[in-house]
Amino acid sequence: MRIAIAGKGGTGKTTIAGTLARALAQGGREVLAIDADSNPNLAVTLGLPNSQAQDIMGLPRSLMSREPQPDGTTKVVFAADPEQVLRDYGAVGPDGVRLAVMGRVGHGGAG
Amino acid sequence: MCSAHATVRGLLGELVARGGNGRDIIVDMEAGLEHLSRGTGRHVSRILAVLEPYYRSMETVRRIAELAAELGVAEVAVIANKVRDQADQQAIREFCRSHGLEIVAEIPYDASLAESERAGHPPIDHAPAAPAVAAIRRLASQLTG
Repeated sequence: MRIAIAGKGGTGKTTIAGTLARALAQGGREVLAIDADSNPNLAVTLGLPNSQAQDIMGLPRSLMSREPQPDGTTKVVFAADPEQVLRDYGAVGPDGVRLAVMGRVGHGGAG
Repeated sequence: MCSAHATVRGLLGELVARGGNGRDIIVDMEAGLEHLSRGTGRHVSRILAVLEPYYRSMETVRRIAELAAELGVAEVAVIANKVRDQADQQAIREFCRSHGLEIVAEIPYDASLAESERAGHPPIDHAPAAPAVAAIRRLASQLTG
């Protein structure tokens, strides 16, 4: 199951996303939570200690690379092994929920 | 296009392409609408839009659903949150009915959740018996059932 939680800021989006992830994991599912908010705070709702939450590395942009296409144009593609990326970045919290966090927005602009 | 978002989308796309290894994936999306046009919605099977019983929140959800339909991305359903009473419930149900939106969960307003958040504790540990947590657990079993 792949679900995105959306909505206006302050509606409880992150609380619901985090609690849903934990509830699924407690039910025996393997869960990957992805924090795609530019003001990330899913880690705390998932129950990662603050110290650990602060040390999480966001997904770096270097995971994307420009690849030439047969028609002469270039395309930006995800160039890494996703399972390796999940091991290298992010963290594992209570109930085994794995968390990946978006890199910081706004440096370097258009990509 | 913002490359931080593009990286998340790239990771999601790759995970999905490889079958996701049997995991459930929950994405906490950027507030608002922009993320949809950036395409995150393409890699999920469903977008659950959190709606509170007040006009601007309901309007945002309506626009999310409209935009998702326009872009042809995942189907949108509603999680009603902070539902205080029958009047809230009726207002939300009426709004969703008139816009053809399915409600997958109604989460009651629950002070212990706000308290957990203030203290920086996960509600599921801090207030495991709270009605709102129970509603989210029901949603989890419904989604996997």
